[in-house]
Amino acid sequence: MNRLAEPWGNRIDRTRSVRFTFEGRNFEGFAGDSIASALAASGQWVLSRSFKYHRPRGILSMTGADANTLVQLPFEPNVAADRTPISEGLSVSAQNVNGTLERDRDAIMDRLGRFLPVGFYYRTFMGPRRDSWLKFWEPMIRRKAGLGVVDTTAPRRHFDKTHLHCDILVVGAGPAGLNAAIAAAEAGADVVLCDENPEIGGSLTYGRHDPALLADLSSKLEALPNLRLLTGTVCNGWYEDNWLPLIQGNRLFRTRARAVILATGSIEQPAIFRNNDLPGIMLGGAAQRLIRHYAVRPGQMAVVLATGDEGYGVALDLVEAGVSVALVADPRSGGEPGLFEAELHGKGVAIRKAATIEAAEGTAGNRHLARVRVGGRWIACDLLAVSAGEVPAWQLPCQAGAKVGYDAAVGTMTLSLPPSPVHLAGSVAADGHLQDAMADGRRAAAAALSRLGHAVAEDRILPRPAVAGPIHVLPIVPHQKGRDFVDFDEDLQVKDLQNAVKEGYREIELVKRFTTVGMGPSQGRHSALATSRIVAEATNRTVAEVGVTTARPPVGPETLGVLAGHHEPLERRTALHARHLALNAMMKPVGAWWRPYFYGDAGAAEKMIRDEITTVRQGVGLLDVSTLGKLELRGPDAGEFLDRLYTMAHANQPVGRVRYCLMLNEMGSVVDDGVAYRMADDRFYVTATTGAVARVYADMLFWNAQWRLRVDVLNLSGAFSGLNVTGPKARAVLEALDSDIDFGREAFPYLSGREGVAAGVPVRVMRIGFTGELSYELHCPSSLAPALWDAVTIAGEPHGLKPYGLEASRILRLEKGHILIGQDTDAITTPDELGFGWAVSKKKPFFVGKRSIEMRARLGQSRQLVGLRFPADARDLPGESCLVLRGNHPVGQVTSIGFSPTLGCTIGLAYVHKDDAVEGRLVTVKCRNGNLVEVPVVGHAFFDPANARQEM
Amino acid sequence: MPLRLLKYGLSRDYPVSGDIPATPDLKPSYDVVIVGGGGHGLACAHHLSKYHGISSVAVIEKGYLAGGNTARNTTTIRSNYITPEGIAFYKEAVELFEGLSQELDFNVMFSQRGQLTLAHTEATLRSFHSRAEMGKHLGTRTEVVDQKMVEELVPSLNMDYGGALEILGGLWHEDGGTARHDAVAWGYAAQASRRGVEIHQRTEVEGFEVVGDRVQSVKTSRGRIACGQVLIATGGMNYDVALMAGVELPIRCYPLQAMVTQPLKPWLHTLVSSVSLHTYLVQSSRGEIVIGGGSDPYQLYSTRSTLDMKEHLAEGAVHLFPFLQGVRLLRQWAGITDMTPDYSPIMGASPLQNLWLDCGWGTWGFKATPVAGKRMAETIAKGRVPDLLKPFALERFETFRLLNEMGATAASH
Amino acid sequence: MKILTCPMNGPRNIDEFQSFGPVRAEPDPDRTADADWSRHLFRAENRKGIVVEWWRHVPSNYFFLAERDLVTNEVLRTFDASERWAHP
Repeated sequence: MNRLAEPWGNRIDRTRSVRFTFEGRNFEGFAGDSIASALAASGQWVLSRSFKYHRPRGILSMTGADANTLVQLPFEPNVAADRTPISEGLSVSAQNVNGTLERDRDAIMDRLGRFLPVGFYYRTFMGPRRDSWLKFWEPMIRRKAGLGVVDTTAPRRHFDKTHLHCDILVVGAGPAGLNAAIAAAEAGADVVLCDENPEIGGSLTYGRHDPALLADLSSKLEALPNLRLLTGTVCNGWYEDNWLPLIQGNRLFRTRARAVILATGSIEQPAIFRNNDLPGIMLGGAAQRLIRHYAVRPGQMAVVLATGDEGYGVALDLVEAGVSVALVADPRSGGEPGLFEAELHGKGVAIRKAATIEAAEGTAGNRHLARVRVGGRWIACDLLAVSAGEVPAWQLPCQAGAKVGYDAAVGTMTLSLPPSPVHLAGSVAADGHLQDAMADGRRAAAAALSRLGHAVAEDRILPRPAVAGPIHVLPIVPHQKGRDFVDFDEDLQVKDLQNAVKEGYREIELVKRFTTVGMGPSQGRHSALATSRIVAEATNRTVAEVGVTTARPPVGPETLGVLAGHHEPLERRTALHARHLALNAMMKPVGAWWRPYFYGDAGAAEKMIRDEITTVRQGVGLLDVSTLGKLELRGPDAGEFLDRLYTMAHANQPVGRVRYCLMLNEMGSVVDDGVAYRMADDRFYVTATTGAVARVYADMLFWNAQWRLRVDVLNLSGAFSGLNVTGPKARAVLEALDSDIDFGREAFPYLSGREGVAAGVPVRVMRIGFTGELSYELHCPSSLAPALWDAVTIAGEPHGLKPYGLEASRILRLEKGHILIGQDTDAITTPDELGFGWAVSKKKPFFVGKRSIEMRARLGQSRQLVGLRFPADARDLPGESCLVLRGNHPVGQVTSIGFSPTLGCTIGLAYVHKDDAVEGRLVTVKCRNGNLVEVPVVGHAFFDPANARQEM
Repeated sequence: MPLRLLKYGLSRDYPVSGDIPATPDLKPSYDVVIVGGGGHGLACAHHLSKYHGISSVAVIEKGYLAGGNTARNTTTIRSNYITPEGIAFYKEAVELFEGLSQELDFNVMFSQRGQLTLAHTEATLRSFHSRAEMGKHLGTRTEVVDQKMVEELVPSLNMDYGGALEILGGLWHEDGGTARHDAVAWGYAAQASRRGVEIHQRTEVEGFEVVGDRVQSVKTSRGRIACGQVLIATGGMNYDVALMAGVELPIRCYPLQAMVTQPLKPWLHTLVSSVSLHTYLVQSSRGEIVIGGGSDPYQLYSTRSTLDMKEHLAEGAVHLFPFLQGVRLLRQWAGITDMTPDYSPIMGASPLQNLWLDCGWGTWGFKATPVAGKRMAETIAKGRVPDLLKPFALERFETFRLLNEMGATAASH
Repeated sequence: MKILTCPMNGPRNIDEFQSFGPVRAEPDPDRTADADWSRHLFRAENRKGIVVEWWRHVPSNYFFLAERDLVTNEVLRTFDASERWAHP
């Protein structure tokens, strides 16, 4: 067991044991342990196999930021074992393993490496046949690629989203962030402080710091009611106008902050030498986190690579945790003795200057570190703590507009951010020491407060003092035989990057794309600086010239679940929905709406629909048309407005009359139709098609924002419902209603409208005829629609009134040759192509689309919508969208087709070549089965072309 | 193991192929100047040099090679368009992709795994029938499939929404697939440069010297070059570049965003897209799930990403495949699309005699790379637009001969 | 989420708004040649730089104008359409 005694282990609760399994073996840890720490405590160091070479990998950073520790949970792949807590009974397994984690058959890849150079897959796997890639090579590569496994049967989990608003959001609760948040809150600002760790403190919780410091900050923080702390919460991106996603477990806080302080700290970098990826080689911060957070001894015999005071601190920590430290290797030569040097000497730890790790070797199968070479001498050890420098956590700052630079003198990346509501604080901005970071946090708070208009003393917001950071030139020691990894996620070595440059991929983005460096789960956190340096050297440029690749969101991996949240598709029901259900309607979704498709026996759809059609043609039917768009236009210019918007004349439309209205866009294409009922001089009630009304309404307002006519437009589509009573007996039904409207033939002629009360319900009624029968459309406030429906149903009972559904309605209109916008028209249909010359005013000086249809008429028309009537005994019948051919060339398509029970044959509408739009002309239609049929062209109105029935 | 790899394993030093030569000095003049070092420009350079004997060609690229939309698209290749003109054009593209690895001796990983587009409404299903009928007639593999067949093609799909987003059927396009986008550009670049084409990276075009109806020379950040013919193939920058020559294109720019998850073992074989959800998914050969959708809702020349689009795409993905809730997203990005009023490209002549256009690619440019390159090279070499490209002429916007592709590409790209 | 400041409703998330594109010239249809008319229909302002464009605040159905930089996405100002279109 590698578990240290108390007081080590500030995250674990030793009173609570937790059992879990890894690779089918039982393990036990303490509450608060991460998967990786609990396994390490039990001596299990290997956590995964690498992407390409299947090399054993273990703990690297303990920050949840690298691919080494990705493991599989039952319903979740690619889970960071060093960040995810254990829970009772959790079943954890290793990923990307062929066989077992210990004995991975694909480990042979490590020996074949020289045959698989960078980009090898571009050079081969192309033959022997054209489809060999698809049939043979790709399936093989796909099986090898990928890390975790998705369980397609995983149960749905609950995720939610909420909103958060604050004056100042501080990201990172380390020394700088804590100071910034406290200073901002003390000044009265509304502050949110978030940190991805389960506790505040950042490096104060695992580094060599006076515990009193954190205790003091903690008590200050607790005393501030206007400071909201969110631990276990990652800020995963910065978006325009300070819009930031904070993710806490299964919850997404969509956060708007007036100012943001990024105190995201820095990222320790691995050193590069042969076999630098062996389990047992970890970052200094990882060793410290294991010790202080989890009371796990990271090894027995250690070597420490140190390029600054932090590394010496790590060595001291190791000594205090009972680890023997064989050597501290420091690549720097000479200079002043560092902070802990004397103390280490006192404890008998050897320190070697101007020395670095040249190579490492592993135990059998490279399962753990066995020894490292320093100055040509091999030193046995099972732990190498690498404290060789860091880079600022550049992702969030760069998303907020920061530019990355490189300070060659001290060997670190730098960030510069132009003045904005985003401020940097602490080591993300400058590689300073603890006291600097704390002061810098307070300085950033002052700057943010000042920007928000708080009075802040001038001296508090001075620019950041230049802090001479320690020299941290990251050791890169390439090895002739490779395995000197730059990117652990993608198994990329120094020579891979150098070879990419030799192939001509000299720009950093091309290097990334050719080698995939930085494209793995850690997104370049541990490889960006080294890559830039290697490419700079290979191309004779400076690191600043080479740069780093763009830091795109998210900062760290985030689940699709948390992004998607809890989502129900929108659906709309009419006020009569319950009536339809009670009548045993077969409901279907049409766009967002649920509509009755037909009523009655679902197993006998065809018969039910035919009966409904017959009812309308011979008796009377009732249709719910509530989904129609309904607009009311009010104002002295309402008529003029409609004149400009629609193709027919409305300004001169008498009160009480209803007119068809056809809308074009500026290009002259048909976009909508409906009817306009003039209720008063200054009032029109206009219908629009269900799918188009939102757009029509917006367009009306848009046009009037420019025309500035005195008219108001109201969208009553939801507020009003509509019932269509249609059939030869419709008048008789309505006359049986208790109403002040005279439904008589003379009093209420075709294409007129009346307002009144029917069955106690205020209604506006229009005589229009989509079905071609005598029809009244009754519109009323939606809350009263069920009452009206019931009254009509009762009044209709003696006349055999029956409700009918959408499908019958479609056939009825097809029999009458009425078009459906969007089905019988497309984006370039003109009124002429529909034969709608009658609906286009020749007298009006202007309407939208007028200029364009005139021009298009001059340029010539190529197609025409016509009726097609198929013989009753036709063997092959086309379906919707079947092609109309001329020669073998498609000239149009069937837009609507169906069997007409009234006519006893199949009828349809189709676009044909203009020259074929002659009654009786045979056109060729290609059926879905490929057979060609010849069918005669007829007029649109298949049924009652003289309109006798609808006008009776 | 393929024999080719032995070369690497058995050589003492890494055997360099030298795909992309370093940027040379600019010459005073070239027969053809191609503005834009993306897939289209490089493909055209390849065809000019290999099939038309024109190797005095300079490809001028503002940034790094193929770093614009070639690098940012989601690699879908398909020919299930609406119009006969569109289908015929993209059909040739698919055919060229089928032999592209051999043509370039560079594995572009064309993976013809088929594309399934889902219909959640009857209107969508109707448009699928339209595309299928036209596609079949023109010899592509496109058919409407019912719910049962959808389940067979993608068994992990969530069919059981109930409500308004039930899957009613799909458009199954067996010719559809993906290719490795970068490799397409690099393969063309390697071939073209081997035949003498010069590729000038980090060289920005700053203007054109137009005399009468000809471009006399191209002004670049590295000096002026005289030109015989000029091709504009700059993706999201087409409007801007053409304007420098005084040509105003009917183009508006919108960002198009996409995102990718961590790599997973293969579970999704086909490309899946949904018209109603404005979402499509494909699993790359690396194992990542690439997720994309429609363009941003307002004009912008920016490749910034938004959280809203990411949430929207995640919603769509989780709707189709609820088990993806636990899968982690790794990266999101954007490109700039150059949209035309009829959702179709503009290829061929410009008002200037020697300036040629390969523009208006909107969200469907990558899939056209080989055919646009081949046919634009033919156009430039012969000074005559081939029949296949004629419908895509700029003048169609003056004669109202628009291509009726509107509304088709919402989420299919 | 970007913020757009509606002249009537103040600063709101941009998902409450709908873009209606750059303001276009209003040629007299009767005095415009075919070529200029088609140009009017199909060419939209797309220059890199600042455009004046229409936006609709959807919940309130209010149309207004914004000056926005097409490259940086910065909104310089938003204002009521009456600044450009007086009531007749």
